[in-house]
Amino acid sequence: MAYKDADEMVFGTAKSPVSYGFGIKVGAGRVIPELNYAPRPGSEKDPARLRKEYVDYISKDALNRAVTLGFPDLQLETEWVSQMGDPKMSRPTVEGQKEITEKFHEEYGINTAVRHTIPDQREAEEGLRTGMKGKHSYPEHLFKCAEVACEAGADVLSCETMGGKELADYAVTNGDITAFLYGVGYLGSIDMEYVWSEFVNIAKKNKSVAGGDTNCSGANVSMFMAGGYLDNDVQRTFSAVTRAISAARTLVAWEAGASGPDKDCGYEGPIAKAIAGKPCAQEGKNCQCAHADLQGNLMAQITDLWSNESVEYHPEFGGTSVQCWLGSLGYEVALMNTAIATGQEKTLRDLYMTTDRVRGPEGYILAYDNAYKIGKAIADNGNDIYLRSKAAALEAAKIIKGGYDSKELQLTNKQKDVLLNVIKELEALPAEEAKFVEYADKKYKELVPNYDKKNYGL
Amino acid sequence: MVSKGVDYSKILKRYDVEAQNETSPEAIAKKMLPTDAVFKKVAEAVLYMKFKEVGPAVTEALKTKKALDIINDGLVAGMEVVAKLYADHIYYLPEIMMAAKTMEIGIALAEKQIPGGRETKGLVVMHAAEGDPHDIGKNIAAVMMRSSGYTVIDMGKDVAVTDVVAEVAKSKPMLVTGTALMTTTMTAFPAAAEKLRNKNITIPFMAAGGAVNRDFAESFDLGIYSEKAPQTPPIADKIKAGYDWRKIRAEWETIVGGV
Repeated sequence: MAYKDADEMVFGTAKSPVSYGFGIKVGAGRVIPELNYAPRPGSEKDPARLRKEYVDYISKDALNRAVTLGFPDLQLETEWVSQMGDPKMSRPTVEGQKEITEKFHEEYGINTAVRHTIPDQREAEEGLRTGMKGKHSYPEHLFKCAEVACEAGADVLSCETMGGKELADYAVTNGDITAFLYGVGYLGSIDMEYVWSEFVNIAKKNKSVAGGDTNCSGANVSMFMAGGYLDNDVQRTFSAVTRAISAARTLVAWEAGASGPDKDCGYEGPIAKAIAGKPCAQEGKNCQCAHADLQGNLMAQITDLWSNESVEYHPEFGGTSVQCWLGSLGYEVALMNTAIATGQEKTLRDLYMTTDRVRGPEGYILAYDNAYKIGKAIADNGNDIYLRSKAAALEAAKIIKGGYDSKELQLTNKQKDVLLNVIKELEALPAEEAKFVEYADKKYKELVPNYDKKNYGL
Repeated sequence: MVSKGVDYSKILKRYDVEAQNETSPEAIAKKMLPTDAVFKKVAEAVLYMKFKEVGPAVTEALKTKKALDIINDGLVAGMEVVAKLYADHIYYLPEIMMAAKTMEIGIALAEKQIPGGRETKGLVVMHAAEGDPHDIGKNIAAVMMRSSGYTVIDMGKDVAVTDVVAEVAKSKPMLVTGTALMTTTMTAFPAAAEKLRNKNITIPFMAAGGAVNRDFAESFDLGIYSEKAPQTPPIADKIKAGYDWRKIRAEWETIVGGV
């Protein structure tokens, strides 16, 4: 564990800060706003239109607003649209964003950087590894995208990798926690090591920073479907346990040599940061443009970059959408940084956390004290990707049960029933990796049509 | 860390706990299950997701009942209770998926006894947009369509516009659906609809998924909207009843009302 106890963790400071871009220092005592955006539909039709959208409209608008409002730092994040898998589409945008962020840095002294998050378009049924000859050669394209991004000037390289998604989708729709443990905790970790070892090499070669990943394709699907108080698809006790499993998997990018920051939509960030001490990006109350969740304040508790997740570029009364959401982000970050400057960061951290702590099981396990306990369960199992994922899941489930039993956390009857079943199921699983893999492989090759263990080198 | 004596429920509320439906599945089932003991046993296997019991229950029922009646009055009747429990927030997505699978096991067994197989309500082509790897919503909708008696050609995810058009031209479905999670991939839907119109194909093109809203779905000819998976079968039922895409749009709220 990077921290001696949970109370040591706070926003704006990481044990291993990272510097890049034009003056950006993440985790070095100040929280930084990270603005993410999507181009308008239709702008992806040709390279010139796409570059204009990203550089001349989105980036310029955002940088202008940052200076207008007096923000000292701005990190942009470009999550590539699928069409950017073609270098002709992506290279002009990456180069253009590098130029404009440098220009604003030189002109106004604002610290700037751009994170490029490349698309993982690999499909389980077409092969996840290079040489598997899928119809689109997506595995090859994935590494090509990383090369293009880093060569053209990405300050930070990130990705939302998809390993294990075929099982995660099955797990979430069928309420099968073992499928999630196998898909994300085990196979997802194997795929992360495969992908991130290569990303780290590519980033190093081009003097970019290999940031980190998120289990967007698994735990976020689970959380999204669990939704809010009116939703009725997935139980939040189930989604909370999937989040804990995802932490053991997201950590692998850092173990493979990435330095952080990880991705904002990785709500598992507090757990991963507790273990590794690397800077983490998070999203919450200021990402309502992208989605709603039940821990909007809590997620700010230990963040180093504070993100809006994504907003489509369009006009609003207060300017363009990126300008308005940057204003929202930047003022929140200024509050955090004021708290740090006045020695009140732990008070603000606890207010953020307390606001959402008992609003649901997901927020409850991500509250930094509980996140630390889950991190410890992972760390106690070292490099055993099965045992540490299982330990994370069981620790999270027992934390929720403990919260319920002590009357701190309320659960619906259904949430409680699902939780008890999850604990029972996890406790019945084999104690050894080999036996678990044999059991899971046999079970899921019958149930999950796109599952192929060759995708994971097995 | 957490101040004692503070009533946090006055700051933000837990509507999920306060408004939970504490009715048991059994209480709803009692009002809805068939009274005939043979059909009831088959329906209960679906309702309680008993994979292993549905086969023997159907086999036993086939000794005294017609296969089509077992499907409609047993298996489908059980699924109707499941749909009611889902609508009432007593059952959730996993129960829907498992009950549907249980029903499909039973239908496959019963159908073998029907010469020429069971008549389908209609053929539907479903896909996730070109460039879009997210198809969980489409998969859920496909299960719900099959459960409702439709035949589904599931083209998968990241399906090229040209492939969608070719499949529709070949298989002549009553409805084609597309889902998209990203705004930059949903532009495939009007492109596909235009190519279909150029071939004089005028079936409704249902656009759905996280990125799509009703305004977008209705911005191109043939386009109709589905906000969530359970709305797909009632919309398909209206198409089967003769509604074209314009009439679906005009009566959309009524068609999906309460779903």
